[in-house]
Amino acid sequence: MPAACAVVAPRRSRLRVAVAVAVSAAVLTACGGSGGGSGRVVPDGQATIAMAFGPSAGYGVDTDDAFVVSQLGVTESLVASGPDGRPRPALATAWAQQSDPRTWRFELRPGVTFQNGEPLTGQAAATALNWVAGVAAPPRAVRGIGLQAAADGADAVRVTTTKPDPILPLRLSSANAAILAPSAYRATPPSVQQTGTGPMTITQANGTQSVTLVRNDRYWGERPQLAGVTANFVPDPAARALALRAGDADIAQELPEASALEFSGDEYVNQTVAAPRTASLILNQSRKPFADIRVRQAVAAAVDRTALGEQALAGSAIPASELFGPAVAWGSQDAPPPADPARARQLLTEAGYGPDNPLRIELGAYGARPELPTLATAVQEMLRGAGIEATVRIGDYDAREPQLLAGDFDMYLLSRSYLLDVPDAGATLTTDYTCQGSYNLNHYCSPEFDALLAPLATETDPAARQKVFTEAAAKLTADVVGVPLVHTNANGVGHRVTGYTVDPLAKSLVVPGLATTE
Amino acid sequence: MTALVARRLLALPLVAVAAAVLVFLLPRFSGQDTALAILRSRTGESDPDPAVLAALREQYGLDGSWWDQFTGWAGALLRGDLGISWTSRTPVSGLLWPALGVSLTLTVAALVLAALVGIPLGVRAARRPGGRLDRVLTTGSVLGVAIPEFVLGTALVLAFAVTVPVLPATGWGDVDQAVLPVLTLAAFPAALAAQLVRAETVDALARPHVAVARSKGISDGRVLWRHGGRLALTSVTSLSGLFLGGLLGGSVVVEVLFAIPGLGRLLYDAVLGQDLPVVQAGLLAIVLVAAVAGILAELLALALDPVARSAVR
Repeated sequence: MPAACAVVAPRRSRLRVAVAVAVSAAVLTACGGSGGGSGRVVPDGQATIAMAFGPSAGYGVDTDDAFVVSQLGVTESLVASGPDGRPRPALATAWAQQSDPRTWRFELRPGVTFQNGEPLTGQAAATALNWVAGVAAPPRAVRGIGLQAAADGADAVRVTTTKPDPILPLRLSSANAAILAPSAYRATPPSVQQTGTGPMTITQANGTQSVTLVRNDRYWGERPQLAGVTANFVPDPAARALALRAGDADIAQELPEASALEFSGDEYVNQTVAAPRTASLILNQSRKPFADIRVRQAVAAAVDRTALGEQALAGSAIPASELFGPAVAWGSQDAPPPADPARARQLLTEAGYGPDNPLRIELGAYGARPELPTLATAVQEMLRGAGIEATVRIGDYDAREPQLLAGDFDMYLLSRSYLLDVPDAGATLTTDYTCQGSYNLNHYCSPEFDALLAPLATETDPAARQKVFTEAAAKLTADVVGVPLVHTNANGVGHRVTGYTVDPLAKSLVVPGLATTE
Repeated sequence: MTALVARRLLALPLVAVAAAVLVFLLPRFSGQDTALAILRSRTGESDPDPAVLAALREQYGLDGSWWDQFTGWAGALLRGDLGISWTSRTPVSGLLWPALGVSLTLTVAALVLAALVGIPLGVRAARRPGGRLDRVLTTGSVLGVAIPEFVLGTALVLAFAVTVPVLPATGWGDVDQAVLPVLTLAAFPAALAAQLVRAETVDALARPHVAVARSKGISDGRVLWRHGGRLALTSVTSLSGLFLGGLLGGSVVVEVLFAIPGLGRLLYDAVLGQDLPVVQAGLLAIVLVAAVAGILAELLALALDPVARSAVR
């Protein structure tokens, strides 16, 4: 019998649905497992997937829907990215920055055709890239860089930016930079049906309910093992868990976190990986009390991050020792420092707080990610142990954001991806932590830190960039710029499935090696 | 009767205009930046770019006055053009009509089931107030009214899709996929109908003309259905008009839980993404369907109730 079932956040939750999910999850605690298989691959098998996020923007590749079709193996980009954060060949086999450093040239893979038979050419790639860069709201990966693409003969494309862009290949690994057949762009948003290059082809898109796919026999790579896939879009995590348990789905994405325990053992294959996302306490340094580093250090010492991950979140999150976690090659693998409430009290005393002058603050959080209210309550209790009285205020993030940006708050609990669609942390470090950063909620400003990031403007070598990321994270830890608490996990559960891996960047799921077993 | 129908039909355009003004204005009182909401619905943006927001405002005419926006929208509506969804960028009609069809199917099926179960149970229970059936029904109907849809729905899935896997847990399109959501959605109106019918029937059976009927030797069963049940049916019919509108828009939880692409889920997503063309068209559709259903229910109730019918002549 399972130990427990809990929930992962629905992308768009509101109170009623959240309560529904919570109660559903509670009911699920009584559920049991179902049978396993022999492990032999079914030739030309069919798989059904309960996906967490369905299309909400008509499968527009300029929106988050790009991740849906990318995960389903429908679309591909010029470049792929590996777990080490380095670019890898995909539709382009090689690339190089040109003598004019604003231009990169990408050589296209020969013999690739789109699913409808159109050939992949330099012009086709240029059309795709220019479209996504030219929409009113371009995706983050290609926004604000003045991207322009032009065919360089039939087998290459040249991509130019306003300023030299050292990470252009990584930007073009984004699912938003998918290359569709030229005919796709006759519609708005571009049609993804039969116009991708991936191993699977959409045969029927059934609104926000489901999509059916068949193997793309023209695929340039390894022949897909699955003959077909049905993806049902099931927004409620508890419903996805039930679908898996009922046998309606072979794979269920983003299951309730503690379901990872339930769907384990011989009967289920459970794949879990740390996501490049950190839940942190944001400490407003623009005013008292967190302008004083001793108070920030006191908060960091008071919080037991191991207990937050292992107890408060039932082992479904990894304790964070710094901004970056084990999901990325440059992230820390170390355990966080142990809590030290005595040291916290001492620091507070030095800062002028104590029993006669207790420190009272407000701790804000939002409920769209259900782990945050749980974390907020646990942190409140830990702070109390160090003599800090925190009042928890859970509200809507959108409504609170103007105050956060204006510096009108004390402490806020935020869950934030640090890769922002491109496997390079430069963008997050710049927007969130530099003096001119547009999303600098900690209101931190350090000329040394800004100087530390300066090489990122020109450095193209991934190893050198990742060294900067590591140093930046150390500097943020030393200056106590907020307190990273936990890295939340992306969970995926496969049942009678082989070849299933969880991509922390959420770009791939249906890959040629995916198969069902007997 | 004809005059009543005419009055009601004439009122429909007024209802539509009032609803159109309301559904246009209400989302704009939310206090949120619509352009920001559109951007977040597309890319989950945490770090909004002012230039992008400005481009979106221009693209969707959000930088114009409310009056310009309203006249533009209402004019298109009069031409039968529901507009283009700001989020999906596809025609609203292509999203709305299929979703409305799904929700209407779900709702009507739930109401029919509720009536088929609730009315006979209520009438039966009224036969002997305080009797065993009455006590069971009272307890059951209280539970039916009180249990939230997400608890009942989950329990039904656990029972019939997991423990005894005879029905699918999610999806829409096949008859078997409709069973559990219809059962979930029918529980509340069935329970309420049973309570209402029971109370009305008990009341009706206590009236003098029923005693007269009984004294004439008419059987208990006939008295029960002819005098009690028919009156109760009138009340339930009237209520069903209200229920249809309510269930149509309020089945969000069931549609999310069972992954059903209905109007409730469409509106839920549209509200979160501030997809105003979809929100406006969806709300308008609900109001109009509810208004038409209300009129039909009223006429049906009159047809069933000769006393009331004579009153409106």
